[in-house]
This record gives sequence, structure tokens and C-alpha cells, in this order.
Amino acid sequence: MPDIRVTPLGAGQDVGRSCILVSIAGKNVMLDCGMHMGFNDDRRFPDFSYITRNGRLTDFLDCVIISHFHLDHCGALPYFSEMVGYDGPIYMTHPTQAICPILLEDYRKIAVDKKGEANFFTSQMIKDCMKKVVAVRLHQTVQVDDELEIKAYYAGHVLGAAMFQIKVGSESVVYTGDYNMTPDRHLGAAWIDKCRPNLLITESTYATTIRDSKRCRERDFLKKVHETVERGGKVLIPVFALGRAQELCILLETFWERMNLKAPIYFSTGLTEKANHYYKLFITWTNQKIRKTFVQRNMFEFKHIKAFDRAFADNPGPMVVFATPGMLHAGQSLQIFRKWAGNEKNMVIMPGYCVQGTVGHKILSGQRKLEMEGRQVLEVKMQVEYMSFSAHADAKGIMQLVGQAEPESVLLVHGEAKKMEFLKQKIEQEFRVNCYMPANGETVTLPTSPSIPVGISLGLLKREMAQGLLPDTRKPRLLHGTLIVKDSSFRLVSSEQALKELGLAEHQLRFTCRVQLHDSRKEQETATRVYSHLKSILKDHCVQHLPDGSVTVESILVQAAAHSEDPGTKVLLVSWTYQDEELGSYLTALLKKGLPQAPS
Amino acid sequence: MESAEDWLVESLRLYQDFHAFDLSEATRVLEWIGDKGVFVAGYESQKKNEILHLILPLRLSVNENQGLFPERDFKVRHGGFSDRSVFDLKHVPDTRLLVTSGLPGCYLQVWQVAEDSDVIKAVGTIAVHEKEGHLWPRVAIFSSVAPGVLHGARLSSLKIVDLESQKTTYTSGVSDSDELSSLQVLDADTFAFCCASGRLGLVDTRQKWAPSESLSSCPGSGGGRWCAEVGGRGQGHGCSIASLGSDGQLCLLDHRDLSHPVSSVQCPVSTPSPDPELLRVTWAPGLDNCLAISGFDGTVQVYNVTSWHGMGGQVEPLFTHRGHVFLDGNGIDTAPLVTTHTWHPQKPRTLLSAASDASLHVWDWVDLGASG
Repeated sequence: MPDIRVTPLGAGQDVGRSCILVSIAGKNVMLDCGMHMGFNDDRRFPDFSYITRNGRLTDFLDCVIISHFHLDHCGALPYFSEMVGYDGPIYMTHPTQAICPILLEDYRKIAVDKKGEANFFTSQMIKDCMKKVVAVRLHQTVQVDDELEIKAYYAGHVLGAAMFQIKVGSESVVYTGDYNMTPDRHLGAAWIDKCRPNLLITESTYATTIRDSKRCRERDFLKKVHETVERGGKVLIPVFALGRAQELCILLETFWERMNLKAPIYFSTGLTEKANHYYKLFITWTNQKIRKTFVQRNMFEFKHIKAFDRAFADNPGPMVVFATPGMLHAGQSLQIFRKWAGNEKNMVIMPGYCVQGTVGHKILSGQRKLEMEGRQVLEVKMQVEYMSFSAHADAKGIMQLVGQAEPESVLLVHGEAKKMEFLKQKIEQEFRVNCYMPANGETVTLPTSPSIPVGISLGLLKREMAQGLLPDTRKPRLLHGTLIVKDSSFRLVSSEQALKELGLAEHQLRFTCRVQLHDSRKEQETATRVYSHLKSILKDHCVQHLPDGSVTVESILVQAAAHSEDPGTKVLLVSWTYQDEELGSYLTALLKKGLPQAPS
Repeated sequence: MESAEDWLVESLRLYQDFHAFDLSEATRVLEWIGDKGVFVAGYESQKKNEILHLILPLRLSVNENQGLFPERDFKVRHGGFSDRSVFDLKHVPDTRLLVTSGLPGCYLQVWQVAEDSDVIKAVGTIAVHEKEGHLWPRVAIFSSVAPGVLHGARLSSLKIVDLESQKTTYTSGVSDSDELSSLQVLDADTFAFCCASGRLGLVDTRQKWAPSESLSSCPGSGGGRWCAEVGGRGQGHGCSIASLGSDGQLCLLDHRDLSHPVSSVQCPVSTPSPDPELLRVTWAPGLDNCLAISGFDGTVQVYNVTSWHGMGGQVEPLFTHRGHVFLDGNGIDTAPLVTTHTWHPQKPRTLLSAASDASLHVWDWVDLGASG
């Protein structure tokens, strides 16, 4: 049976390690290769031994697809490709290709330098892994091989995030990765066409939530910044580079303008260089559908936001500073943090998740005393605010996307089945599709009915048309032909042509059936009765009474003969060729019912 | 005309916290379960409606270190489907049961909130002998070891039914066909009713029907439709009753003398209410002498009634929540109408409000008049 098989990899039900194996029409694709941020040991990696215990991954997998640069979707990639071993293609969008290695390197530094981990991937491994990457554009159909093709769709969420359609012949699967259905200031909303895949795979982490509006999150951010600045405090916002930082800048700039605020806002220099580089990338990537939602300006043309100089950190009075890196684990943001942490009037706003081992992670866990280098203890008196700006689709968003793509079935990963029964019912009722929720390591098998295109020969078509009867779309029409399968092509030709091509002799098959009738009249009269009976019933067919007494229905012959032993019984011989099987059987059954009483 | 952006900037000053959500369908119901969860339910007539048990965002539930909790989202903890519209929903305290009422009004539906899964399932019905097609029975719950469901669309059809045995344990026994607009259980033996006409009454179920009641709606009112709530804190005069009319009149009564209202005011609202069935007046559980009203437009108004006296005076609200008017994210140009609101049981100035555009807000308003 043709089917599609999906297995989310890894142990445990926790969110934080996206890695899904899909088998479709004989092709094997791995979707994402994430790291579980909560574990320090091997549990943070997906369980690749599931794929193959001793075979090479390269032989088994046709390709790997990475949806976006978040570590819980790509964090295990270098481990997978260089330490476990995979040499095949890795597909991702251009921005993901540019940003992934930076995040991976950052993460590696934290793990090895800060936490002293031993068995971790090296910088060289990250580089070698990235050499296997093939970057794709949005809506571009990419042929992985002559049967497997993939296509990326815009997902919103973060810069470069994409949803992927994986297609083999008439079967397809769409994987959403993380996506967002409401546009924000610098990213549009996810969009997909009515591609009607057999299966839509989506994360269910936020499926049972109802999201607070973007505006309220922004409001909270502005309120906290404003309150701090009003009381003379300083606000530190550690950011990664492009995307969120730009969005928050636009927000502050608008607010400062409207409220006529004077406190300075700074952007640290490290940010500027990186940001410009990604800015250019972003433009290329957004050439397609989303360009109009992108703010087309040089991001440093802000009236109120200036470049930062490290000396400014000591200036008295209120200010706001955006600095890298985002998790306070090194560099400028950490330097500034150390200077400002001791004053309770100040505030640090963490706009995203911080990896274990970083200062960011520690203060978000509530730690107020930090041990820094040289055993110095830093007392954190400044206010710590954890804000989440990253956009995920909630229950409503998932319904919207399912409505757009119109899949035959939906599969939700990373959720507990018992806690999503209602959502499953909702999806099943609204869209009349099946909804699956496999646990990690559990395989879901979906039967499919792939359509196989067959070419019909012109000769055969013409012959059928010549039969005279017009095709009726509501009624199936029986057609005799021979299916020739050669070199992955399917052709339907007439039997004669097939025989000719194959060099075989033609044989005719003829069936004869004997039907006994109670009739004591002469054979001639029986034949006449048979003729009248058939003529009245088979109005659509050509029924003839031949001079020799036999009756023909199309090319079927009916002859009446006397029974050898019983004069009261007549035997009808019904004879037809193989091609007229259907009609022949029907006639026989009809005649077996007997003839109607003749009027005297 | 203020834009959404302007209003949001204003909101920095007006609210401590503010959260705005979009439900998949509008609700007329906001029923608390504990102080961390609420039920909402759809009220459309032609399709399946959802009943949802929502858990408040973590950020609102924690008392300390709020800043370390980034979660601002509602969690859908349980959900179920109703074939008919839900106009009222009551949770039976100390159980996993819910009772809902809607149209057609000939029965109440009983639901069970599952313990080991996230499903809300229909488990039974309570028959109501209501013949009229457009009326639906109001519901209130007598919570005890054997909970009783008080229901009725008219005074004549008021009854209490034991939830488990389905036996009727009390009937009003009157032929008075005044239409009911709200029912409220006050203690194990007493409940209050408010008729659409404005007539109010307090009933002791231990006696045959003999409510202490007001004769009619507030003096000077020209009819309209009324609703009421018993409650109120502060000022030592026991329980107060607030009664709200669709013409914008708000009356305060003392339960000891229902025939003589303490005061009445005219609220600055656009009248008449476009849908008087949506009128709500609620007393703040955590503030003295404060109440909130909604149902006239897309706003919720909060009043301090301390200095109210006399009849027919004009008053100004202490606070007006305009979020539903300005944050219309759906792009529909008809102005949304607030369908219901409720106070947070613990946080004194936090309210939840829902509107006809399926929005749900959680807001903590700043008392600009208060010193310090």
C-alpha cells in the first residue's frame, strides 16, 4: 500500500527539539534538526539511531530541510552532519544560511568556553556542515532528484523562516516549522496557496493558547521603558541583530517623537555592522510577496537613535541602549550590564530565550547574585524584565493555515494527545480531515491513493469514439486495452497494437453458454420468442433475427436447439467473444429467468 | 477621532496592565472558576458553538516577580461543542459540572469538564417548561452538598431543581408572568430576582413565596429593560442592590427597604441600549462602593457610588474602558458592543470584558483620582 510515514524523533514530550522524519513515496526527508535547550547531555539531541543503526545516514536520507535559525530547529545540525555523519544536501533559505552559523558558533562558545563541555561540535564542524547547505528562494521549486521536489513558503515568525512543501509525484507533505498568522512591523504573516497536500505537519506547542495582541506586548515594552526613563534610570536591551531589534527601535522612535522625549537612545556599534549586512540580505529575500510589509529605509536614519560609544555607559541620567550579544554572555551587552546592574532604578529587558550558562539565563531564573570572572560577585539590583516578542500561531492561527492549504490530513507534533483532544475535534469537524498527534518516536502511517498518469494511444481513443455513443461523465464506460509499463512510463494501447509491439500472435476467446428453457414448441418459434423478448428489453442494443433462425445481440449469437432427451425443453446456446463478456453475462442471466408467457 | 495608536499611548497612563485577545467567536459569558480560570461560550444560532475553559496568563496570576514571566497568553485548558447558542453559563462550585442556558429555551444543558483530558462533554439536560420560543431561562446555582439549579424565564416558572435527582425542590407557585432578567443566589436559603420591567425581589426559599420586593422599576423611568446585581462593599449598610435600565438610569437600593430607592442617577451613555439583554451591572468585589456597567456601546464604565444621593442626578464615571472601540483589529466598521464584563475576584481593579467582535480584554485601570 502506498503511504506516507511520519516520525517525530527524540525522547520525551518536551518542546524544544524539532526533528521530524518523513517517508513519502520511497523518499526519506528529515525536517529540522533541533537541540533541546533544557538538557546538557545527549538528551538534547534527537535520537538519530532511530533512522538507522548501522547504515549511513547519507544513504538513507534524500535531504534535510531546516525551517529557520532558532536553535531548537537547527542546533543539532553540525552534530548530526559531522559527528553522526551525513553528506547529503541540507536545504534552507538564504537568511537562515547566513544566520545559522553565527548562532551555532555563539552557542558552541557558550557550551565549551562557559560550561566546559567536552563532546561538542567544533567551529570547523560548523563550517563543514554549512558547506553542505543549498540555499533556496521562496516559491521556487527545487528538484532534489528527478522525483523529489521541495518548495519554500513565507512563514513570518523570524527573518528567513519558511514552511516547506515536499512533493513526490502526486503525493505531498507540507511542514510548517514555526510560523505566524498575524503580521508585525517587519515581518508579514505566513502564507500558503491551496496546495492541498496529503498531510500538513504543524507544531502544536501554542495550539492551545490564545495570543495576547502584538499591540499589548509593545505597550508593555513602552510602559516599562518609559517608567524607567522617567525615574532617571537606564534601560539595557540585549538583542541579537536584525529583526526584533529593528522593530523595537521603530517602536521607540515613534513613541519618543510623539511624547517629545529627550532621553537618548543608543544602538551599539557591533549591532550596526551586522545589521547592515543582514539588511541587504533581507531585501533580496523579500523580493517576492512580502516586500510591501518591509520597512524600506536605512535602519539608521532614526532621529532619536544614535550610535553608541562605550564611554556613554558612564554618563549620568536616563538612556536606552540596544547592545549585542542577546543573551548577555559576552561582549558589549555584558559590559554594560555589569556597570548598571547595581542600581535599582535601572532595567534590563530580555526579549528572548537565553541558553543555559549565560548571564541572561541566570537572571531570568531569578538569580540576584552572580559570580563573574575572578570570583567577583555581582549583585543585581536592577529590574529584570522578560518579554516575549517572538510570534507563534495560536489555535486561531492554526485553523487559518489549515483553511488556506486545505490538506487531506493534519498532524500535530510536540503536544500531549490528552491535552489536545478538543483541538483535534475542532480541526476534524471544521475541515473534515483526520488529525494525528504522535508522541516522539511514534510513527504515524497515512495511506494515500496516488494517481498514476497513463497515456492512452490515439488509435484506441479513436476506436472508442467511433462506437458512436457519446461519453457520459456520470457513467463509467468499459474500455478494453493493454497497459504497457516500460521505463517508468505507462501507456494504454489497443490489444492488437500491444500484440504487434510484443511480437505475439493473437488468439480469440469465445464463450458459449447453454441455457435451458421449458418450451415445447418448435425451435423456430422459441427463437422468435427469444427475439421478441430481447428486442423489447434491450432497447439500446442492436437485436436482429437472422434468416437461419438465430438471434444476434450486437455480436453475440443466440441459437435455439432442441434438447436431446426432453422434447419439452429447449436449449439456448449463447455465444460471445471475450470482448463482449459483460453483455454476454448479462444476456445469459436474463435468459435464465425464462421467457414471458406468449399471448395465445 | 483617536486612532488605535493614539489610544495605545494614552493607555500607558490609564492602565497598569492591559491584554487584548481575539477569540474565535464572541461570547456573552464570563464565568469564573476559582480565580485563575474563566469560561467563555459562543452564542451564534446557526452553527456549533464552542465552550472554552481559559486559564489566565501566568503573568496575571503570579504575585511576585511578575517581570520574569513573559507568558501573556490565555491557555485553552478545556473545550467542548454546543449545538445551540449559549447565553448563560454557571459553574457548579466544588464540582466539575457546568449548566448552560440558551435558545431554544426548553431545557438547560449540563456539562462535565473532564479531569484526564481537555474535553467538556454534555452529560445531561434539565427540562424547563418554557413554551415561548424567544425566552430563555435565567440560571443560578445553590451550591451545597446537593447542588440545586434555580432557573426560570418568568416568575411563574421559577423553580429549584436538585441537580442529581432532577427533583424539583422549590417552585414560586405564582401565576405572575413577569419576564425575568437576572437571578442571583445570595446564600443557602435566599436568592434575588430582577424582572425585565425593573421589579426586584429577595426570596427566602424556606417560606412560601413572599418576596420582599420593589413595586416597579425606579421612579421616573419610562420603562425599558432592567437588570440588577446585589453586592457591594463598604459603608456598613449591609447589602446594596444596583439596578440598571436600558435608558441609562442606575438605581441604588437597600435590601432592607426595596420600595424606596436610596438614589438614582442618569449615566452618560448612548441610549437606548442597542441590545438590552446585554446590560450588565456588577459590584467590585475588591473595592468599596464601586460598580461597573456595560451593554450600551463598546465601553465599560466604572463608578464610585459613595457620594450618590437623591434622584435623577448626573454622574461621571471614575473610569471608562474604551479598548474595544479603538482596538478593532477585524476591520469591520460596525462599532462593537460589549457583551459582558466581570471583575477579577482577587485583584481589586482588574476586569475582563468581552465584545461582539470576539475581542476579550483583561485590564487593570489606574485610579487617577487616588492620591499616592
